[in-house]
Amino acid sequence: MNDVAKIRVDGLRKEFGEVRALDDVSFEVSGQEFVSIVGPSGCGKSTLLNVLSGVEPATAGTIRITEGERRARLGYVFQSARLLPWRTVRDNLLFVQETRDAAVRERCERYLDMVGLAHTAEQFPGQLSGGMQQRVGIARAFSIEPDLLLMDEPFSHLDAITGRGLRRELHELWTRTRKTVLFVTHDVSEAVELSTRILMFAKGGRLVSDQRVDLPFPRDGSSDEVALARADLLRRFESLDLLAT
Amino acid sequence: MTRGGLTGRTGVTRALFWAALVAVWWVAVPLLPTGLVPGPAEVAVFMWDELRGDTLAPFTVYESFALSFERLFTGLAIAFAVGVPVGLLMGLVKPAEHFLHDFTVVGLAMPSLVWALVTGMWFGLGDLAPVTTVALAAVAFVVINVAEGVRNVPRELLDMAAAYGVLRGRVIRHVVFPSLMPFFFAALRYGLANAWKGLVLAEVWASTSGAGWVIKYWYDAHRAQGIVGYALFFVIVAVFIERAIFGRLSARVFRWRPEIGRPVPETAAAESVVPKSPVPETSAERSG
Repeated sequence: MNDVAKIRVDGLRKEFGEVRALDDVSFEVSGQEFVSIVGPSGCGKSTLLNVLSGVEPATAGTIRITEGERRARLGYVFQSARLLPWRTVRDNLLFVQETRDAAVRERCERYLDMVGLAHTAEQFPGQLSGGMQQRVGIARAFSIEPDLLLMDEPFSHLDAITGRGLRRELHELWTRTRKTVLFVTHDVSEAVELSTRILMFAKGGRLVSDQRVDLPFPRDGSSDEVALARADLLRRFESLDLLAT
Repeated sequence: MTRGGLTGRTGVTRALFWAALVAVWWVAVPLLPTGLVPGPAEVAVFMWDELRGDTLAPFTVYESFALSFERLFTGLAIAFAVGVPVGLLMGLVKPAEHFLHDFTVVGLAMPSLVWALVTGMWFGLGDLAPVTTVALAAVAFVVINVAEGVRNVPRELLDMAAAYGVLRGRVIRHVVFPSLMPFFFAALRYGLANAWKGLVLAEVWASTSGAGWVIKYWYDAHRAQGIVGYALFFVIVAVFIERAIFGRLSARVFRWRPEIGRPVPETAAAESVVPKSPVPETSAERSG
């Protein structure tokens, strides 16, 4: 596979004035992994994505995200869809592309189709429901053919049923494309359902646990095995005293 | 919100107002000393003559309004040319905001009448006084709205663009500029409303032509129907600008807003585009 990204994070630290958001974080992610990052609020999950994407500079440490020799391309899905309300759905996808030639346009249409929204290409985001907007956000992230996808609690603002449908769609997209995904969530069930691996953060931005999830796909979020795996993880996390700084 | 203009119950009630006004006017005029207030028929005849170009004044109504519009748009262009960079500066640089804050407060609070008098004194009769009045009466609205707009560019969209590595030029064109549009509209609308009054006054005091001057011409000639007739021309023109120009323009520029999207008829959209967030005329209150 030439479509795989590698992330190497070494001694990463991020401080906002006196507040430490990430504390000496080190981990590696190899290609095709779906890695969830879980932890209580304020444990630096979103900060980690912001630092990885370059939106925030790191205070110390190194980050290497590489795809062969070149720097990897990153796709980003946010908590809210963050679409330009004044551009059509199609133009929102085109906005983040480096070029806008025929091949790129065709690719955008393809990903819109993959999330079932080809028919909304001419519509404005305000004319879509929250779930549909989030799907546009996901299509946008995939449409740049990223080497690495960063997702920051993308389903936390949606109702349970919409969230469930979108998780399934995301899993299908991931199965098809095998993009490396870093997925931030506070919902352990969601992490168990989607991930091949779970990183647990504690208050103060410490990485305290790194677990593989060895259940076969597709996983049913409401099945017994997922519930068991979730209970098992939660037990282990509780023993780690995540709220201590 | 009213929909679709004069249709349905609301429309009937509104039309009733105009009928009542004309009726009261018609009945009351004969009771008053002659010549003080023109009757509706007199005014209607006057306006019709004017529209046909049959006038005693040195300019037709078309020439007068064309000239006034020319001054209005020149003045507004100057107000935007000066106000946009100053507003950007105020929105982006904190010390500039503090330095210029009171300037905008004074600008918003200053009655346009004062500008008309002052520029009349400076420049005498001609085009310069009305044009400068318009620019001065509008510039503070431009500055404060642009500054407010810059501060309101959605942070999360800028972060999104940064995360995707979108180039600066594209970000300005597709993120910053569109999010400024409601504020440009507010600036144009309130600046225009204020400048329009200043323009008429400046033409009365400091000009020998234009629609404002013609009102004074009829005043000097003791022709009340001329004053009332011209006043009605002003109202008609103002409503036309508001509905036909602003309405259509904003329905087009803001067609992405859900309440303006395709299902809603254009006329209704035109009325709902009064920007909610931008700074309205009352922003002078911020100082108080």
